[in-house]
Amino acid sequence: MKKTSDFKSYKKEIMEAARDDRLRLALTRAIKSFRANVKNALEKFPHTVDLAQEVVRIKEKSIPQMEELARRAVAAIEENNGRGYIAGTAEEALKIIADLVGTGKVVVKGKTMTGEEIGLREHLEAKGNEVYETDLGEFIIQKMGSRPMHITSPAIHVPREDVARLFSKVLGQGITEESGITEMVAAAREYLRDKFFQADIGISGANVVAAETGTLFIIENEGNVRLSTSVPPVHIALVGMEKLVPTISDAFKVAEVTWRYANYTIPSYVSLISGPSKTGDIEKVTTYGAHGPKEFHVIFLDGGRTRLAKHPRLMEALYCLRCGACLYECPVFGVTAGHFGDKYFAGIGAVWAAIVNEDPEKAASIAYTCLTCGRCKQRCPVDIDIPEMIIELRKLLAEGE
Amino acid sequence: MDSGLVPPGLTYLADNIISRQNILGVTREQSARWAEGLGLPKGVETVFFAGCGYQYSAQLEVLMSLARGIDKSVIGAELPMRFARFQKKLGLNLPEIYSRVLARGGGSEAKPLAAAVRVLRRLGIEPGYLAEDEPCCGAPLYHAGLQTRFAENARRAYGTLKSFGVKRVIGIVPYCTNALYHLFPRYVADYDLEVKHFLEVVAGKIGSLQLRFPRKVRVTYHDPCQLVRFLKIVDEPRRILRAIENIELVEPDWTRAEWATCCGGGGGFEAVFPELSQVLGSNRAAELLETGADIIVTHCPGCVMQLKEGVRELKGEGVEVLDLAQVLDMAMVT
Repeated sequence: MKKTSDFKSYKKEIMEAARDDRLRLALTRAIKSFRANVKNALEKFPHTVDLAQEVVRIKEKSIPQMEELARRAVAAIEENNGRGYIAGTAEEALKIIADLVGTGKVVVKGKTMTGEEIGLREHLEAKGNEVYETDLGEFIIQKMGSRPMHITSPAIHVPREDVARLFSKVLGQGITEESGITEMVAAAREYLRDKFFQADIGISGANVVAAETGTLFIIENEGNVRLSTSVPPVHIALVGMEKLVPTISDAFKVAEVTWRYANYTIPSYVSLISGPSKTGDIEKVTTYGAHGPKEFHVIFLDGGRTRLAKHPRLMEALYCLRCGACLYECPVFGVTAGHFGDKYFAGIGAVWAAIVNEDPEKAASIAYTCLTCGRCKQRCPVDIDIPEMIIELRKLLAEGE
Repeated sequence: MDSGLVPPGLTYLADNIISRQNILGVTREQSARWAEGLGLPKGVETVFFAGCGYQYSAQLEVLMSLARGIDKSVIGAELPMRFARFQKKLGLNLPEIYSRVLARGGGSEAKPLAAAVRVLRRLGIEPGYLAEDEPCCGAPLYHAGLQTRFAENARRAYGTLKSFGVKRVIGIVPYCTNALYHLFPRYVADYDLEVKHFLEVVAGKIGSLQLRFPRKVRVTYHDPCQLVRFLKIVDEPRRILRAIENIELVEPDWTRAEWATCCGGGGGFEAVFPELSQVLGSNRAAELLETGADIIVTHCPGCVMQLKEGVRELKGEGVEVLDLAQVLDMAMVT
């Protein structure tokens, strides 16, 4: 590990965020509404709490056998006439995807944090492709030239008035600084409509994957994932290996707990995708590419995950469902958003920075910004002991292995 | 211990613990002054563990307001925190200077400690106190990631406690109590001290007392993180407050008990991010002020300091921040 710390510049960034009134306004609104929603969702479906305990056991079983599950999923996907890949590193994943995409293509993209982790959009753009983020939050971020500040709500740090100002500049369509949220949503829909149909390739992530059938579960509300994964002729999915569970019934449990703690009673859409589009309606001859994509590619990314899985205490970070609930309970995140983080945010983000991205300086900066107050743990559906992990990580950083 | 990745504010606290057995690096005699005249004995089996936080609360307040001032200036807090270590080498010990300035005020800053002792006595418990021999629990070492140093310190501290014949410890500072309760057993072989928090002791015996606060007040309670989420002391403070006549307990909607928001003064965070810590303190104070309480009660020296500062900043006119030990003491006097 390197011995110098860029703590000073990081602290400067954190403090600028903490002094930013716009950021504070946006976060205060978001936290209030998230807490009310999640309370409502859990009251309406109280079995979720016990179900989350089942998910802990599923994760305990799955994480140590991630590699085996990935091989099983690849086999299942190929049996379904898709293609499966296991990428050892971020570079390998980027190469696989870039080779599939080529150059001069139009790409529509659903939100994928794993894509953010490896810099997928930037990489494809550098290869000469036109890439459109279709999740509204990501779309705002892309147009702002900013980076996501929350895992499920990437534009959480932008108040509505600022979105209106941005859209009035980049979208036109009669949006003014006084426009309401409904008009802004309509303008984004209008702008992106053709892109789905022009696109050569659709890219998505996945919330959980059933290894036995190779089924991706993708949770969303906007419908952009449905369009991105069914309209273009090619669908490419990038998935972190920690998302794999053995069976499809395990995957249903993980998915339900994920959306419930992500503040939804039930999301509008859950897509289950196991292979390319096909039909056998003419003489029972299976033909691929009916109305959906003809090609289906899934890349499972290791990128340090199997290394993290071997650490007795920090491996818990791989249980994370990425519901984002902990972030709404973090007092520091509440004033800084994702500035308190790296590719992933807040306390748990430090572990990812240290082990998965191998960036000890960044990891130390994030680790020492954690209050170890423990409210994240209180909220976590799968009981990840973030304060303990942070202290363990500080030990690794301060004293070495 | 200097991997270069530990922020300077924390290495400063760590150095003091290792070299002087307290977080500020002042003399132990100074810290024990609050107990003068209370006649607390050494060499008894049950001791009251006073810890650094309350004993140095006045010094810490001065240090923090200095650090915050500098943190907001162009210099940033890293420099002076690091500088303090050089000053020590040069014989210019900043904390000593604060202490000397503050010593004139007498031990008034440690009010909750004397109050807690009076409360214990009213409940028929006569605790001992090791005064200048009380070891430092070293919790900031653990939180800074310096576990090897923490382990060494824990073994030494345990040895000291044993050498005075201690069998039972009544802790009051949440960090110290959690360290003695949860952390020491991980690092000290055959650890056999019985550790209880002051509130557990009090809540168990509260029924025997007639309690009446001097005036009718609305009170809200702020749960310190280490007490509520680590030591799981949730009901005790509420049971105590509800048992006091003239006190009406009002709590925030969401951010109460296990969901209480951190005051921003946790685990050495305030030494690394003095200004941000102030922002968080004032955010928490705002949540508590929304209850319309006349008094914000909490039970941790760090929380008291953070919330006082927060209330001051928000101009919470007439709202007092008090430690639960003081409230109890006041309710017993009448």
